[in-house]
Amino acid sequence: MSRGLSLLAAALLLACLLGLAVGEVLLGPADLWRGLLTGEGPGGFTLRVLRGPRVATGALAGAALGMSGAIFQSVLRNPLAAPDVMGFTAGAGLGALAVAGFGAGAGLSVTLGAAAGGAGAAVAVALLALTREGLVPLRLVLVGIGAGFTLTALTGFAMTRLPGPEAMEAQRWLSGSLAARTWGHAGQIALTALPLALLTAALVPALALLEMGDDLAAGLGLRVQRARAGLAALGVALAAAAVAVAGPVPFIALMAGPLARGALRRAGTAGPGAVLAGAALTGATIAVLADLAARAAVPGVQLPLGVMTGILGAPCLLWLLTREMERGGL
Amino acid sequence: MTGLRAENLTLAYDRRIVVEGLTLALPAGRVTAILGPNGCGKSTLLKALARLIRPQAGRVTLDGEDIHALPTRAVARRLGLLPQAPIAPEGITVGDLVARGRAPWRGLLAGWSAADEAARAAALAATGLTDLAARPVADLSGGQRQRVWIALALAQQTEHLLLDEPTTWLDLPHQIEVLALLRRLNREQGRSIVTVLHDLSLAARFADHLVLMAAGRVLAEGTPEEVLTPGALEDAFGLRALVIADPVTGTPLVVPA
Ligand SMILES: Nc1ncnc2c1ncn2[C@@H]1O[C@H](COP(=O)(O)OP(=O)(O)O)[C@@H](O)[C@H]1O
Ligand SMILES: [Mg+2]
Repeated sequence: MSRGLSLLAAALLLACLLGLAVGEVLLGPADLWRGLLTGEGPGGFTLRVLRGPRVATGALAGAALGMSGAIFQSVLRNPLAAPDVMGFTAGAGLGALAVAGFGAGAGLSVTLGAAAGGAGAAVAVALLALTREGLVPLRLVLVGIGAGFTLTALTGFAMTRLPGPEAMEAQRWLSGSLAARTWGHAGQIALTALPLALLTAALVPALALLEMGDDLAAGLGLRVQRARAGLAALGVALAAAAVAVAGPVPFIALMAGPLARGALRRAGTAGPGAVLAGAALTGATIAVLADLAARAAVPGVQLPLGVMTGILGAPCLLWLLTREMERGGL
Repeated sequence: MTGLRAENLTLAYDRRIVVEGLTLALPAGRVTAILGPNGCGKSTLLKALARLIRPQAGRVTLDGEDIHALPTRAVARRLGLLPQAPIAPEGITVGDLVARGRAPWRGLLAGWSAADEAARAAALAATGLTDLAARPVADLSGGQRQRVWIALALAQQTEHLLLDEPTTWLDLPHQIEVLALLRRLNREQGRSIVTVLHDLSLAARFADHLVLMAAGRVLAEGTPEEVLTPGALEDAFGLRALVIADPVTGTPLVVPA
């Protein structure tokens, strides 16, 4: 593992320890250590029931979002091309809500609903953005932003159909929330995201070729359309898996890739595999820290995770936008 | 039939036909330059020769076999393409970029083999880049960067090498450097080289065989002396020019009138 990835992994570990220790009850290092090792004492209950599943779900969902964002950013060669900017997570949110709101409950059906919604949004955006010259990344981003607004509006409309308490709960989930996560949620995202991450790892050599342009990649023996479609499907599925357990948390997918690239480049070179792994680590770190901040920012009030990533992510989006404009990408 | 041939090739984007009924034999073991005005279909032809686009009619054959009947990777081991605008990934070093030329030779889970390393080292040495291997590509001059892309194509170890305008953005000394490199690779390693060029007189100096295109057809092909005639230049480019013997090499020199 490169030095850059080790640093990002250390940052994630630190974030997780902080996320476990800090909350309404502050755990000292001794309690935290004892709780982690033995599951007993004041730390044990907090870790097992209150914060452990929450931190685990947040880290895994953040990792899935970060990897998803980095896939799209590489495949489309545009730092703005993240599933949250392009409306895919909004589609996944609507899909999950449709399943959950119609009484099917949690678990696999929600994941499938999110996947169907995310894939539907991705296909719709791709078809709407398609031109005679094929898929132009910037057009895809702009159409995606529009689709995201439409899907969010549709979701808002669907919520008015829900009874009051359920609407409140849905609203909370839709802004991206890790409240009341159980080990069931953590297990669900682990079982869905890990196989997807392994499949993505198998496509890293293809990504390395795609980065250099379609013609060169094809000349080097890559089946470009097939590789791109496979990577996009994995990106949508990873985002949907995260949305199913944490709601459509905004901006993590957008931020993780550029931040990871920056960190990795400072520590040496960064191939596409390192960027994907780094984006997963960074996404997990952002999710855990943002959730921690959301819990601790206002005493006695638990803000949804998505509110915090929104506060962090909006400046990041503006920074990426200005950088792209200066570079002539917009 | 050895070498790369186009037989009665018709190429189109959607419905729009760009190249029609083109037949061409690219001599094996030679340097061939493809010339012609902008938009006449040179890049399109090159992509079809490299199996990147499927012809609407006709076929491309490599040593007698239809190129679309061969597996993608098998073609990529025999025929390399350097497109007009390849993208250097952010922050990548010369050595890492050249290593990507090994893609058609590597298995999904196979590591970096001794053969891969030998091919990379040879490609870097042939292009004079051995000492720059650890440098980021972004730090290099335009001429050096073009040599890096050629090194990537060399690491691919193909007998045929197709290049689309490898000299277009370079100043004159760097154009000559790249063309001399291509000819040296041809003479010393026996690779067949096909390159799209814009400078007619430089093409005449460095290529053995010229193909002059206009509006998706081949107007003339043969030795530089056979192809670069005032009549052909008028037909292809609408250019009125004198063709004299280059005082240095004796090859045709085009002087616009
Ligand atoms: N991807 C494409 N889609 C549609 N038309 C294209 C595409 N690429 C090239 N063309 C058109 O095909 C014609 C030939 O282009 P090209 O082969 O690039 O010419 P050249 O390389 O000789 O300048 C031009 O009119 C160009 O506009
Ligand atoms: Mg061209």
